[in-house]
Amino acid sequence: MPYDLTVNGQHQSVDADPSTPLLWVLRDHLGMTGTKYGCGIAQCGACTVHIDGTPTRSCQLPLESAAGASVTTIEGLSQDSSHPLQRLWIEMNVPQCGYCQSGMLMAAAALLKNIPNPTDQDIDTNVDNICRCGTYPRVRAAIHKAAAGSEE
Amino acid sequence: MGTMTTISRRQFIVSSAAFGGGMALGVVSADSADATFLGPVPWVETDALPGAEFTPWISIGADDIVTVRVATPEIGNGAMTQTPMLVAEELACDWNKIRAELAPTSRDYREDSVYSKNDPITGYFSGRSTNPERMKLMLQVGASARERLKAAAAGEWKVPVAEISAKDSVLTHGASGRTLRYGDIAAKAATIKLQVEPTPKPQSEWVLLGKASPAKLNIPQIVNGSAIYGMDVRLPGMVYAALRQSPVHGGKVKSLDVEKAKAMPGVLAVVTVDPDEPRGLKIKSGAPFGYDETHVRAAVAVIAEHYWQARMALDAVQIEWDDGAGAQWKTTDQMVAALVAALERPADKVEKQSGDAKLIDRQDKIVEGIYVTPFSDQAPMEPLNGTALVTADRVEVWHPAQQSKQAFWVAADESGMDPAKVYFHQTFVGGAFGRRIFGDDVRTVVAIAKKFPGRPVHTIWSREEQTRQGKYRPLVAAKLRAGLDKTGMPAVFIASQASKGHFPVLADSPYALGCIPNVLVDARLLPFHVITGSYRGPGYNSYAFMVETFIDECALAAGVDPLEYRLKLLANWPDPGWAKVLREVADKSGWGKSLPKGIGQGIAIANWGMHGKPEAGTTVGVVATVEVTKSGILKVHQLDAAFDCGRIVNPDAVLNLAQGGVIFGLNMALNEEVNVEDGRMVEGNFDQYPILRTGDTPQVNIHFGGLSGHDRFSELGEPPAGPVGPAVGNAIFRAIGKRIRSTPIRKHDLTWA
Repeated sequence: MPYDLTVNGQHQSVDADPSTPLLWVLRDHLGMTGTKYGCGIAQCGACTVHIDGTPTRSCQLPLESAAGASVTTIEGLSQDSSHPLQRLWIEMNVPQCGYCQSGMLMAAAALLKNIPNPTDQDIDTNVDNICRCGTYPRVRAAIHKAAAGSEE
Repeated sequence: MGTMTTISRRQFIVSSAAFGGGMALGVVSADSADATFLGPVPWVETDALPGAEFTPWISIGADDIVTVRVATPEIGNGAMTQTPMLVAEELACDWNKIRAELAPTSRDYREDSVYSKNDPITGYFSGRSTNPERMKLMLQVGASARERLKAAAAGEWKVPVAEISAKDSVLTHGASGRTLRYGDIAAKAATIKLQVEPTPKPQSEWVLLGKASPAKLNIPQIVNGSAIYGMDVRLPGMVYAALRQSPVHGGKVKSLDVEKAKAMPGVLAVVTVDPDEPRGLKIKSGAPFGYDETHVRAAVAVIAEHYWQARMALDAVQIEWDDGAGAQWKTTDQMVAALVAALERPADKVEKQSGDAKLIDRQDKIVEGIYVTPFSDQAPMEPLNGTALVTADRVEVWHPAQQSKQAFWVAADESGMDPAKVYFHQTFVGGAFGRRIFGDDVRTVVAIAKKFPGRPVHTIWSREEQTRQGKYRPLVAAKLRAGLDKTGMPAVFIASQASKGHFPVLADSPYALGCIPNVLVDARLLPFHVITGSYRGPGYNSYAFMVETFIDECALAAGVDPLEYRLKLLANWPDPGWAKVLREVADKSGWGKSLPKGIGQGIAIANWGMHGKPEAGTTVGVVATVEVTKSGILKVHQLDAAFDCGRIVNPDAVLNLAQGGVIFGLNMALNEEVNVEDGRMVEGNFDQYPILRTGDTPQVNIHFGGLSGHDRFSELGEPPAGPVGPAVGNAIFRAIGKRIRSTPIRKHDLTWA
């Protein structure tokens, strides 16, 4: 039985095993590979998407639970990479290998939506994704700069 | 058996979602011109460059776009940006007209190693963009193209070449005011042969190098999710494989029941990988590292239409393993005990001998310690994976390799295909840290795909498989001994080590190369079954911890401040960078101030890449500032690092790598170990193999004042990993009086009263 969901504003119907994690629905069934597989146990955050606006680790969300939801992935964070965080990630040379950065950006974008001017503590709590390259100081700096920019 | 799929030579499927949403798969050309700077697909499908080809490295189009071929995979160190910067400096082109793409290994093979014939062992198709030979070559590529453009313009205008200047992709004849864009004259310039090669300009005239830090060319593709890593390869007719290898390294499949798995939805085949099967090309190998480190492991793979189907069916396969000899190792402690016992037996190898080590018994004081570092996994965020299509007359591979040429040859060897019919496509790489250099992963990918020919097979290691099927940083035990003379300085240094998997770099230190007069460094090798390999700064990442902890213990025995002790020890070392780094990091970190009990600073210094010579490699000094609560909770407050790699060409890239490298080094020391239980590797995922997160990361300060200005442009990727751990350990000692002689530090009891 196909499941219906909305991804980046578009209706999708997916016929897959109900236990299939949303991560693999996106990557494999829908061909949207921006959302990354890193651990499969909701530890690393590379698979972070927004479900009805809430940052969610898609590797632990089965398709049957995602049915009916509105999903935003890195591909839908903006139409043209114009989200302030995307621009700052480029300007501030944030990524190294870049593999974890889709999830990092999705977590950071959700944080700024909920807390427009986050403290370091807010960042620590809400952007707890793993980056093996160690880009954390730049991620933090870029989030603060985005927050400062939105106040101007 | 899969159905035959033909893939157009110039086309590659990527998700159109990356270009505005939607589910339809779009077809984009891999070398499409709309990838102006660096497309989501980094590789090329054609040998020829777009526009007018000046050399296999560079072309210029009528639209002024300069395409630079980069032989170094983009693994996070910015190589795909740095190489074009070298060209642009000499070419005098507009940086915004630069486009990068990966040099194809297939052309390298077909055209007599056109990209790799200058290869200084590993300099091409892997490694550092600022490798000296690479810098020299790419600067020359830019200078030659510029002079050919000028010569073409001179012919056009009938004026002497000397009257023409080149800047920002425009040629100008000063006297007449005439101008030509590079694109106007590129086709003609590409036909010109220079009588004399131009000499690149002196460094003092550089306008880009050492000054500019442009945004890396691949970041736009990262931030919208379109960059194609190995994991993101999608091809027409592609199927997925989930993989399980013998949990005890070296084990074999004893029996297999696949009936249940085969009946599950979407399952196409269950295949095995057998290390004992005959394989291999009968021709001379061009693999830079050979094949010794590329063996497959006994494995079972389920191939299905979708990954999750393969993954679920893999769990339904009943596998009985023959664990083999590795099962005799019941615990990690047992292995450590075997290493420590081996330290007392005669050495298998003497690495360094100078003076007379027997003089140790005649010294005033002997300092001695045993140090242990564990197996650690590189843990790149992108788990191992790869895609291969094997057919009767060609093999095609899409892979996140750390050394493309190595991967190309391993793919050829495993498939048995004539290398002329092997097409290797290097993807972006989601971290490597040494794990993806040898190509055991690509061999496994091809070994599975060749059992399911005709369709592209995308094999994915689960995170657990990645962690347990490692090529680990070796488990090392070392006994370090020093005899201190009347002044408290070491007159004799003896380092005995034991490990499985050995990198002979313990003696690659000023202490063993002249600062201490009598030295003996030797090694014993144990045949553990656990597979080891390279990990950020191979060998060095262990020895820096051991030696720099030990030097601190010598300083303590001598009653001298650890900074002063090191400066004294290095007094006659003919590389001024070491003292400069120490002084810089001490100064900037506020070294020497009085601190309350529970808070301490520790210092350490080490060098990666010196290869026995002063003024070589990169020296990094670190001061750690830590706090330990009475209940034993460690908080690393701050890490200050200074470094000397000679000179730098891209300040922000250096800063980024140094920050990340320091954080990597901290995690290695605090957290990382993979243990053995009944021969099996225990830790599987990040819940058991913790990695620092934003909130765990201390203040990291990178200081540039240690640079000596020596003309070597050494690297910054690996060196920071070494001295962080010992600086933290030494800081803990100064905070609470407990000496840390093994990692991970999180396993130590740090309570105090």
